[in-house]
Amino acid sequence: MAELTQNEKRLLATLAKEKKADAPHIAGLLEATPEAVVQWAFLAQDKGLATVERIASKEFVYTDEGKTYAQNGLPETQLLRFILPGTRVADLKKHAAFGIGFGQLRKKGLVNVEGTAVAKVPGASTDADEAALKTPSASDQKTKELIKRGILQECETVRYAIAITSEGLATVQKGLDLRAENGTLTREQILSGSWKNANLRRYDVTKLPKKAYPGKIHPYQRIIGEMREILLEMGFTELYGGIVQQCFWNFDALFQPQDHPAREMQDTFYLRETLPLPPGYETVRAMHLSGGETSSTGWGGAWKEEKAEQCVLRTHTTCLSIQHLAQNKIPPVKAFAVGRVYRRESIDTTHLAEFEQLEGIVMDEDVSFANLLGILREFYNRMGFTSVRFKPSYYPYTEPSLDAEVYIDGIGWIEMGGAGVFREEVTAPIGITCPVLAWGLGVSRIAMLRLGLKDLRLLHKSDVMFLRETPALWKAKGGI
Amino acid sequence: MAVITLPYKYLERLTRTDRKTILEKVPLIGSDVERTEEDHADVEFFPDRPDLFSPEGVARAMRGYLGIETGLPEYPVRPSGISFAIDPKLADIRPVLGAAVIRGVAFDDESIQSIMSLQESLHWAVGRGRSKVAIGIHDLDAVTPPFRYIAAPRSRSFVPLDYTEWMTMEEILEKHPKGREYAKIVKDFPLFPLIIDSHDHVLSFPPIINGERTRVTVDTKNILLDTTGTDKRAVSVAVNIICTAMAEAGATIESVEIGGVQTPTLAPAERTVSVTECSRLLGVELTAASMAGLLEKMRFGAEPVGADRVKVKVPCYRADIMHDWDLFEDVAIAYGYDRIESHPPKTFTVGKPHPVQVNAALAREVFTGLGYLEVMPFTLTNEDVLYKRMQREETKGVLHVMHPISIENTVVRTELLPLLLEFLTINRHRELPQRLFTVGDVVVDCRTHQQAAGVSTHPDADFSEAYASADAVLHDLSVGYTVKESADPAFIDGRRGDIIVAGKKVGVFGEVHPAVLTAFELEHPVAAFELDLRAVPGYPAL
Repeated sequence: MAELTQNEKRLLATLAKEKKADAPHIAGLLEATPEAVVQWAFLAQDKGLATVERIASKEFVYTDEGKTYAQNGLPETQLLRFILPGTRVADLKKHAAFGIGFGQLRKKGLVNVEGTAVAKVPGASTDADEAALKTPSASDQKTKELIKRGILQECETVRYAIAITSEGLATVQKGLDLRAENGTLTREQILSGSWKNANLRRYDVTKLPKKAYPGKIHPYQRIIGEMREILLEMGFTELYGGIVQQCFWNFDALFQPQDHPAREMQDTFYLRETLPLPPGYETVRAMHLSGGETSSTGWGGAWKEEKAEQCVLRTHTTCLSIQHLAQNKIPPVKAFAVGRVYRRESIDTTHLAEFEQLEGIVMDEDVSFANLLGILREFYNRMGFTSVRFKPSYYPYTEPSLDAEVYIDGIGWIEMGGAGVFREEVTAPIGITCPVLAWGLGVSRIAMLRLGLKDLRLLHKSDVMFLRETPALWKAKGGI
Repeated sequence: MAVITLPYKYLERLTRTDRKTILEKVPLIGSDVERTEEDHADVEFFPDRPDLFSPEGVARAMRGYLGIETGLPEYPVRPSGISFAIDPKLADIRPVLGAAVIRGVAFDDESIQSIMSLQESLHWAVGRGRSKVAIGIHDLDAVTPPFRYIAAPRSRSFVPLDYTEWMTMEEILEKHPKGREYAKIVKDFPLFPLIIDSHDHVLSFPPIINGERTRVTVDTKNILLDTTGTDKRAVSVAVNIICTAMAEAGATIESVEIGGVQTPTLAPAERTVSVTECSRLLGVELTAASMAGLLEKMRFGAEPVGADRVKVKVPCYRADIMHDWDLFEDVAIAYGYDRIESHPPKTFTVGKPHPVQVNAALAREVFTGLGYLEVMPFTLTNEDVLYKRMQREETKGVLHVMHPISIENTVVRTELLPLLLEFLTINRHRELPQRLFTVGDVVVDCRTHQQAAGVSTHPDADFSEAYASADAVLHDLSVGYTVKESADPAFIDGRRGDIIVAGKKVGVFGEVHPAVLTAFELEHPVAAFELDLRAVPGYPAL
């Protein structure tokens, strides 16, 4: 049985003597308000120890106006008394009750007016109205009229009769601890030692009083953090760089031809701003035009400086990798970046114009495509995906290229990201002579699977309830 | 991406095996099976392999991959005796012409549809929307050679495809659906490209539309292919892909004479590659013989030359082979990605987080300790949110994207606070107090840096909460600061402070102005602050 509060105990103890009583009566005995007593009684009723009976009764009360009439008679009664043979209307007007009384008399047909003279009709009486005023009755027509006139008011009064149940009696007979209760443990009690005798109120410990919402890291940021940690553990250096990039680093240095569809206005956010090309850009131009000094043919056609100078919102984090390589030409280099990238896509539940991309590179003597597969397998395994497979793919700046797929129970094989070895057309112009293994993946895709999101926009325009309710430890670490 | 329709019966006849085997293995040469239907499959191929944009091309590759027929496919070409003359005035308009005669075609509605869709896929992948390459296919027997490719007056008229009346080329650009779609490619030239026969009948107005006269129907037996453009290599690739696909379907190919040269030859290109280089790149042990075998599987001609070299004949339709490594990828595909023994590299390095992210993580720690919940708003927003509702002047150096997708996303954020207030708007119906923070990139003058901001809303949110929270973050990030009265109109006068570090304003805190609250449709007071994280010691100069 649930714990009884001190007040419920006191109520039961009193009820054990009174058996059944009205709330005000018990309130008097307990020195409490009737409302409080009713509240305790309901709690006791929930536990089957008492019953609360709600007794409603209707009664009529006078309005302020009604109170004077009850004393002095209704206005029409007062006026009727005043009318004597030969009384004129003008005489009646002097009477204080004329305004209401005269109207009522005429309405009830108790007087006749001829010219200036006024006379009672034979047998004129307001006795029935007065009787209704003294002893109203719900079914009486006259009473209803008085209510309509705002003289009487119908009121419902409710009283509560409280009785003890046999179970309640049994509880009392078993004995109740009626010592005064303490709600809170105070500093004084602790210091004085009076806590030893303090009867601390017992709580229903199964009931959560109010939810607490801690400050937390965004579940998406947590996934990003998990990936960062894995790559740091695997010995990678983290990169960070600007959102605004020159086409040169975003496209040209990655051997994307200037007429490539991905470079068109409808796919990329272009800016009016331009930046001067870095020194030595000519090697990139030569690569595009003719393949430079490699076995490549290049793209042929034209290569325009103006196109390379224009700024865009970066379309991938590969622009950070290539700039890092250009500044760090001595092997080995292992680096990664997680950053927001931009595509000019219409926004819907699974496509956003901005999203996080993770990208990693390894540059060293003699690293191979087989090593790239090894890194990917290791990374995805650490993310909790135990089954990983690879299939051929195409990216303009890698050769050979691949897509990595992971197996998720209940869903099947899911494409997670692309990878490849940077083309020599990419590495040669910036003076890199070792192979560069590179891979990228869409972080939001993993977040969507992990958090079971149907709409990617919720990551960025979130309902705080979603953020509050998503546990920091989301199922097992790694797995979906 | 190009999605190609592959009718099973036709594909099985050309590949000489069953559909199940084909569909199971086709992803392994680089494709995604989009859907399988009763009588056909739709398969997506990558844009670097336009030779796979037809059932004929797919069958050719699959015969090799499945070992049914390997090595270089040969396509005999004999001269047709037909010639083209090119008008020198086209030099600045659309100078390059490729052409071929394709004889003995047996068209039905399905195969006409198939060649049309190959043509469209090539326009997209190789032709850059017809600007670089445009392809025309004509009934050869409806016209009389020799042909001329000329720069014609814009007022010249003919009956365009799908029409019955004569139209001038200018009218075609205005009225014909294809004219309107592609007008931008030619409209600025004084003269327009035109292909005519010896009787001045019009075959085509490239890259816009063919003439109705040479329409291809089920009765067409012989085809004249014209391909015009601005890039010689791309034009020739398109001709080669169409001719070899038609040859796979059973037609014979004949060359034409253009400027004294017989074209196309459909002859392979040659490349001699190193076995060692390939083995090292792939991490797979290969011999010249094994590598040659793998290349033959991918339909290259391959012949070992000594122990370390393989002489490769690259089929004329393989536009993607620009570099030796492009061949090495085909070796890897033929070997099978699943058979490559994967192992991480031995490269030893030590992991190093970026200082910006280290600081960001510390800021997150302090905010969450204060009970703030992290949110991650978009970086693209608009002037209304960033400035107008905040009663602020536009930040100097804000970036406007040139072609925004919607009026909601016109600029890159320069501050974070307005986005947090927008967040409170979205969450008006949720329980208070709400304390939100974000740490992230903002861009000013093309330069990216990190800021941090927090908001707290509840009936008692006030200046002292804003100040105390800002102070806690600043203290824990070791930022020594002073405060002076702020003039930021987003806050209430007399209840706003500028955070000053080394004489420079690096942040602001205070009680948000009621007019700003109203603009964000908020009903409760908001204590807010924002900090430029460049003020934090150790933030690198970028």
